Amino acid sequence: MMSPKLARILKWALLVVVVLAAGGFTAFLYLIPPFFIAAPATFSAPLVAAAPKMDDIKNPAERAIAERGRYIAMTTGCLGCHGTPGAQGFDLDKYLAGGQLFIESSGRYVTRNLTPDPETGLARRTDDEVKRVLRSGVLPDGHVAPYTTMPWANFSNWTEEDRHAVVVYLRHLKPVRHAIPDPVLKRMPVRDGAIAEGYAGVDYGIKEK
Amino acid sequence: MSPPRIATALIAVFVLIAAALGLSRARIHAQPRLVAGAPDTTTRGKIVYDAHCVECHGGTGRGDGPAAALLTPHPRDFAGGRYKIRSTETGSVPTDEDLIRSVRQGLPGSAMPAWEKLLPDADIADVVTYIKSLSPQFAQPPTAVTLGPDVAGTPQGLARGAAAYQKLQCGKCHGSDGRGTGAVATTFEDDWRQPLNATDLTEPWTFHGGATARDIALRFRTGMMGTPMPSFKDAASDAEMWDLANFVVSLARTPLWAMSAGEVAAFYRQKDADAKANPVKRGRQLVDTLGCGTCHSPVDENRRPLPGLAMAGGLRIRVDPFGDYPTGNLTSDKETGLGNWTDDEIKQTITRGILKDGTRLPPYPMDWSAYSAMNADDLRAMVAYLRTLPPVKNKVPRPSRPFLPVYLWGKFKMLILQQDPPLLFFAGNAGTAEVHR
Repeated sequence: MMSPKLARILKWALLVVVVLAAGGFTAFLYLIPPFFIAAPATFSAPLVAAAPKMDDIKNPAERAIAERGRYIAMTTGCLGCHGTPGAQGFDLDKYLAGGQLFIESSGRYVTRNLTPDPETGLARRTDDEVKRVLRSGVLPDGHVAPYTTMPWANFSNWTEEDRHAVVVYLRHLKPVRHAIPDPVLKRMPVRDGAIAEGYAGVDYGIKEK
Repeated sequence: MSPPRIATALIAVFVLIAAALGLSRARIHAQPRLVAGAPDTTTRGKIVYDAHCVECHGGTGRGDGPAAALLTPHPRDFAGGRYKIRSTETGSVPTDEDLIRSVRQGLPGSAMPAWEKLLPDADIADVVTYIKSLSPQFAQPPTAVTLGPDVAGTPQGLARGAAAYQKLQCGKCHGSDGRGTGAVATTFEDDWRQPLNATDLTEPWTFHGGATARDIALRFRTGMMGTPMPSFKDAASDAEMWDLANFVVSLARTPLWAMSAGEVAAFYRQKDADAKANPVKRGRQLVDTLGCGTCHSPVDENRRPLPGLAMAGGLRIRVDPFGDYPTGNLTSDKETGLGNWTDDEIKQTITRGILKDGTRLPPYPMDWSAYSAMNADDLRAMVAYLRTLPPVKNKVPRPSRPFLPVYLWGKFKMLILQQDPPLLFFAGNAGTAEVHR
């Protein structure tokens, strides 16, 4: 049988532990930095370095064009939406393989796999089809992507030759097998009355069994 | 880039817990396309129109769809009934064949795609009937022009064409070389007060109405209504127009996709030199293509830009759970825009996400990590162009963190419940400028 004094001490100790744990957890929640808190250059360096080099292309004309396309695609920020979400930030092994979710009143869209994978990527599309999306926002099935999710209205202002360079570059990415669900095109409300919502923390691609 | 190891380990544990709880996400399934089936042509045409044309041409066909403001040239306003690409006299509406051809083949050098591979001919005919119903101008039948049979280009003909190019003062807008060199002006406004560029005549793949000698001769003969390109019906004979058309065809340069390695290198060298010589022009191209305006110009609930606030910021973006980040005013206003920012302060925001007052921006939606790869010339050009934006007074509030419990709950959901926090874009202007609609 425990003495009343000991019991009281234990009760207090337990209370202190619980309070400390709760306080510590709250402090942890408050203080744990977002993954982007690193110095800007430190944050950007791996993302910039992940863009594949075009040095291996044999044909010098094609190499120069692909390098131009690489510069345009990198600085335009294709990765921002077409980067595949990983454990923390992007999974850079799946460079431009898509998988982020965007919802607009016109439907749900998961960013596409831009790598030249034959079954899940852009290898299924002709150059004309890819250029048509980049010039007119018109998807291969004739639907028009909302410019607020896929900013094609801006890419429409590229010269046709810059657009060509971007497509040549995309054709030289490392193919990544990463199936992406088709858009769900139906009118739907957007959260909190917003005009668009985006989700970049989890991969919304199709998980293979 | 990685936070302390303990935090990483903790996150890993939470991931496992969440996985064990079996929190799965709903799979997204594709949906079959809506197939149109309606009694009369105009109604069927409207269904096709609503499915494919609204994003640019707008719900009522006034050329004011959500994407319209960003596009140069601007989408056609069907209500006015004035068309650039016609085989008919100035002042006349186009023929059905003209409209069908524009829809089928698209307008190169613009955002209008070729629909022939996407829509059946019947749908295209229906949609043409529908857009004709949007303008009373079509009550008058079109007055077609005749150009006679094709005239092949000969050395003498080309010389006559070059002389006609001089005589008709084409170089005033298109430049003595067709590329804008020595032109009085190369950027204009069309009748709808939208920006317009004089066509570079050495790039036939950008000719809206097609690049054959007949297409080009038709543009001389009919003019391009709504633009500064007039009809040369009274200034030149049909024969002269054919010579001129053949001359313009002969100006074509090799496109990038057909160039040799040496030509590609020279082409890019020239491009870089041009960019350096004209930083404002290059900066404008960068700002237009990077999509700065997509977030820095606030929009209404229908995603249409609010009038008078282009690049003036105020679009509210919530980066859950970290807070609201209204987009900044990029105009040259001294008080509320970039007018009092130094070049380095602007560049630091673009490439490192650090505002003038030291506030750090999250890496999205303002993709400063991507812009960090931009070269020094391009950055300088962008700043040079932003400096030319006319000032708009719109004081945008500073980024704000949510109420503490909301913030903690948001982080709890993110870290412990493994929910993906949303990024939300809101309509309206969070700044002080009043919006007149």
